[in-house]
Amino acid sequence: MSEPLLVLDNVTKNYGAIRALRGISFSIARGEVVALLGDNGAGKSTLVKIIAGGLEPTSGRMLFEGKEFLAKTPAEAKAAGIETVYQDLSLCTNVDVVANFFMGREITRKVLGVPVLDERAMESVVAKALANAGTRIPSLRTKVEHLSGGQRQAIELNRFVHWGGKLVLLDEPFAALGVEQTRRGLDMIRKVASQGIGVVIITHIMQQAFQVADRIVVIRQGVVAGDVARNKTSPDAVINMITGETLAGAGPAG
Amino acid sequence: MSPRTRHSLELVLDNLVWFMLVFVLAVFSTLIPNFFQLGIFANIVEASSVLGVMSIGLALVIIAGHMDLSVESVAALSAMAVGIMFCSSGIGLGLQLHPDWLMVPVSLAVALAVGALIGVINGFLIVRLRMSAFIITLASYIWVRGLVLVVSGGRSAQDLAPAIRWFGIQRLVGLPLTAWIAVGCFVVFSLILAKTPFGRHLVMIGGNETATFRAGIRVNRNLIIAFVLAGAIAGLAGWLLAIRTSGATANLGVGLLFNAFAAVVIGGVSLKGGVGTLPGVYAGVLLLSAINTAINLMALPANFTQVIHGLLVLAAVLLDAFKQTIRQRLA
Repeated sequence: MSEPLLVLDNVTKNYGAIRALRGISFSIARGEVVALLGDNGAGKSTLVKIIAGGLEPTSGRMLFEGKEFLAKTPAEAKAAGIETVYQDLSLCTNVDVVANFFMGREITRKVLGVPVLDERAMESVVAKALANAGTRIPSLRTKVEHLSGGQRQAIELNRFVHWGGKLVLLDEPFAALGVEQTRRGLDMIRKVASQGIGVVIITHIMQQAFQVADRIVVIRQGVVAGDVARNKTSPDAVINMITGETLAGAGPAG
Repeated sequence: MSPRTRHSLELVLDNLVWFMLVFVLAVFSTLIPNFFQLGIFANIVEASSVLGVMSIGLALVIIAGHMDLSVESVAALSAMAVGIMFCSSGIGLGLQLHPDWLMVPVSLAVALAVGALIGVINGFLIVRLRMSAFIITLASYIWVRGLVLVVSGGRSAQDLAPAIRWFGIQRLVGLPLTAWIAVGCFVVFSLILAKTPFGRHLVMIGGNETATFRAGIRVNRNLIIAFVLAGAIAGLAGWLLAIRTSGATANLGVGLLFNAFAAVVIGGVSLKGGVGTLPGVYAGVLLLSAINTAINLMALPANFTQVIHGLLVLAAVLLDAFKQTIRQRLA
């Protein structure tokens, strides 16, 4: 395998006396889907926030594309090519679908030297992106507050698929989705990965992890309790790693 | 419900305050003798210029999810600064510049700079030090008014330089230039809020600040700009106020803040942030001004205005809740 896309080297995070992350080390290759599993409070969301910029690690280092990397803000992570879909949705419900899709990256044209939103261009891009993904939303000009939970999550997912980047972090992306939409979401992830984009997906649902991931990383009490290729382990073994009953099957992949 | 009816219903809900304005004007025109004439309508627009300009700045920060209680005092300080420099009697220094017209840009720059400076202080404390906008701008509301008292010694400045006064006297299509400045401000800032990325970002920050931060929008920078704009716009309101009263007194503009809040709320801006448009705010301003004019025409005691304004704010809030229920049915 070529050089890894992202390497985490002994990353820790303390909140006062509480050690949320006690030294996390693992890596993701281009085009690889890594499922991050762990019990509630294991530190998964903390880890995502550190990679996505918004939370600084207490110690340890990260390498992104072989270079030392630390994003102080989500804007820096985005600029580096890291897209994130958060557990609590990151949508502004007071504006329409198009505005949310382009949040912070609006298409503009200059009128008398002033940047002006190009609504028509943005709307057609969104229409195309949603149609490709098979998501149906009655009107792209509807404010998001009038949409269902599933539709909102679909917007977020389509947003990351559209913008792509180099690495995508998904924090429980399918929590509000129906069966069919989840299947489509998993297909989307495979499609994104086949373009050479690294994907980290956090999930609670073992079945989803085994459906989509190349590799499964288990975090327990702030450390990596297991890092195995999907085809070399079983759901039962992974559950044991999560609960800490045994360490069978643990150890680096391959 | 067909998309067409739904669309037109949305349109009515979005512009409810304009329909209210038309309705109120129609009622006044039929019931109050002498109300229906161009002069009266021009007077409504004219009388609302200072309040209108001040409401723009207030609306911007409220839409961005914050609050600025200091706009009234900032306007007073800007007016006092202009008054002291360019008035010839009272505490005015009677500063003369040649040619005369040079006093216009200089006085305007002074007013805007005073406002922007206080906006910077507010914005810095609120955004960088993460303090509550309500408390910080309440403090500014008090200390800036105190500053007005200090620099004026409680006295007033009269007889503003004629070159500046010209803006309040010279008329264009029946309206003084000061009124056109207010209308122009509404047009410009409405376009900024609705059509530019900066305006879109302010609305989204008001809706969900965390989401905009995660999306890589520079939230702090945008918010500080909003506070500086609110300050500078309040400074402009102060400049207009100085022209209107041909000087400045220590208690100039007292009570404007509450009228500005009333106009903003009546105009459909939610105090929760993220909701509202500037044309709506302008309709709110005109509505208040129309009611004042009607009270004057009917020769009611002026004290009634405050009661009516209060009831109007109450009605606006109730109406807003009612609109929410209708919208939920629509969706």
